[in-house]
Amino acid sequence: MLKNQIARTILGRLGRALSVGFWVMVISFAIMRIIPGDPASARLGGVEAEAIAQLRKQLNLDGSIFQQFSRYVTDLLHGNLGISLQTGRTVIDIIGSTLPLTIYLILFSTFFAVILSIPIGTSIAWSGKAPIVYTFRGITAVILATPNFFIAMVGILIFTVRVNWSPVFGYEPEFPQNLKYLWLPVVVNTLIMTSVVSRVIFSSVIETKEEEFVETGIIRGVGRRRFFWFYILKPSMAPTVVLLSYMMGTMLGATVILETIFTLPGIGREMVNAVLTSDYPVVQGILLIFGVITVFLSFVGDVIAYLLDRRVKI
Amino acid sequence: MSGNHLLEIKNLKIDVRVTKKRRLSIVDTASLIIEPGQIIGLIGESGSGKTMLCRSLVGTLGRRGAYIASGQLKFDGIDLISAKQSVWNEIRGKRIGYVPQSALAGPNPVMTIGAQLAEAILQDENFPKADLEKRSLELLNIVQIRRPETVLKQYQHELSGGMKQRVMIACAIAQQPQLIVADEPTTGLDVTVQAEIMELLKQIRKDFNTSIILVSHDLPLINEICDDTVVMHAGTTVEKIPSKSIKASKHPYTLALYNSRIDLVVPKGQLKTINGQPPSVGSWPEGCRFSERCDFVKDKCRVKQDLPLITIGTSHETSCLRYDEIAR
Repeated sequence: MLKNQIARTILGRLGRALSVGFWVMVISFAIMRIIPGDPASARLGGVEAEAIAQLRKQLNLDGSIFQQFSRYVTDLLHGNLGISLQTGRTVIDIIGSTLPLTIYLILFSTFFAVILSIPIGTSIAWSGKAPIVYTFRGITAVILATPNFFIAMVGILIFTVRVNWSPVFGYEPEFPQNLKYLWLPVVVNTLIMTSVVSRVIFSSVIETKEEEFVETGIIRGVGRRRFFWFYILKPSMAPTVVLLSYMMGTMLGATVILETIFTLPGIGREMVNAVLTSDYPVVQGILLIFGVITVFLSFVGDVIAYLLDRRVKI
Repeated sequence: MSGNHLLEIKNLKIDVRVTKKRRLSIVDTASLIIEPGQIIGLIGESGSGKTMLCRSLVGTLGRRGAYIASGQLKFDGIDLISAKQSVWNEIRGKRIGYVPQSALAGPNPVMTIGAQLAEAILQDENFPKADLEKRSLELLNIVQIRRPETVLKQYQHELSGGMKQRVMIACAIAQQPQLIVADEPTTGLDVTVQAEIMELLKQIRKDFNTSIILVSHDLPLINEICDDTVVMHAGTTVEKIPSKSIKASKHPYTLALYNSRIDLVVPKGQLKTINGQPPSVGSWPEGCRFSERCDFVKDKCRVKQDLPLITIGTSHETSCLRYDEIAR
């Protein structure tokens, strides 16, 4: 009966994730069709009608809107997101070559942010000493108030210009070599994420600490380690996990700035380029991928939060 | 006095840190003695220091910025005031069980009831893990929970108030402690559930010879199940009296509490109340702290003085200066 309830809740959430996914698909389909003007003629300018019709066909802009949509969905199911107008490469290929870098960037910074935030947030909340708390709040507030490109530039100034520990530009996609180019952006991103996440953990532990059941744990004589995990950390984790999944999603967009500053060929920069050059199929494809990843992350985050704390409504 | 008492509290003073320098006494001159197998009722208005007194028995005053300033606190001969972590480890959950006040928020929300019972049971390191489920079910049966197998897998928010409270009791008795501190265990529960839980506590005392401190502000309830009643007012214990003879109290405060009870069997006409408000912490009157509300007050009551408990009968002690003049 209990197992069923968990399964039901998660399946219900999955259902909603899929329906949001569907609307993400509809929106990414609609974008190219609701922007003013005709993308094909805008691109080709005043050439003959035949070439324009050709391009419209290639962009899946001919026929009724329903025919277009059904072709779009069929193509999507075949893994076909169209062809870049700028380079002639398939959109799938472009995403495949640029997405891993961004994912590396986000995963590494999230990993380090979690590793750092949990001890920082909990220990400061647990000590509760006013000077430490104020210092912590002050430092994190300053980091959060500083734009990420500024922190990135300070990082470059120190680690690239002064001590030359980090290359100025370039990238190698293979795993161990890429760390040489990625570590500084990861450090910058980690710094920003840690400030947010540790603040959330901090306030959530402060809240948990005051709860009646924590005292019950002490009085029951629960051992130190067990007490920390099950009476302090676990009840405080749900909001943090939800926040993390949300942050990782929004970070897809936020990395645009980091990738530009560090000249990293990630998907964020690709997106900016595509928008600047009116490369509609690429914009459409990347939007879809961003949407799907965000929906997926928030689904995973909600499920983990629910498994940690059954009171969470997802 | 010999060291045979299970619990001996003498002139206990509990202070709380308000700011760096300012201290406030929230309990002072609290005295209480409990023998094995005794049920003691601790009664008083809100803010009289009942809960703080209970917390001092399990060493969690510090969480609220409070500490024991002076006095004696001995459990089975062990001094609890200077107790170190290692001493508490042997006492908490093993020799003293605690049923907290707002039991409605008592169980841990992120652990199943089964996991929490297991935690309580495994306080005994030598307990064979194979018998864990059997013992858990046994405990849930003692506290009369229906469908215990299901409840083991549930979380606290899936249980009713009465069930949560029973679970808390089950956890508290897991190690068959010598003393159970039940801090308003039935507040917020409906009357039938209250009666059942009281019955349960009585049964536990009978089966395991457990001493129980039952905190309440419900005088009829305390009268029903306790051997002795200890009355607290404004941080002090003002009277200790056998529950049976509560009507023969020699302290105006106890009498006032008794007379303000709501009697449903014989309606008394207008409901009696106690004059004024309980004096707030930090502005206790000098002399007798009940003097400003008392119908029997004389000038000598208002003089600054210590008011120790005076023994005036078998397990009957009072702090009223005019006890011999007071008659109902």
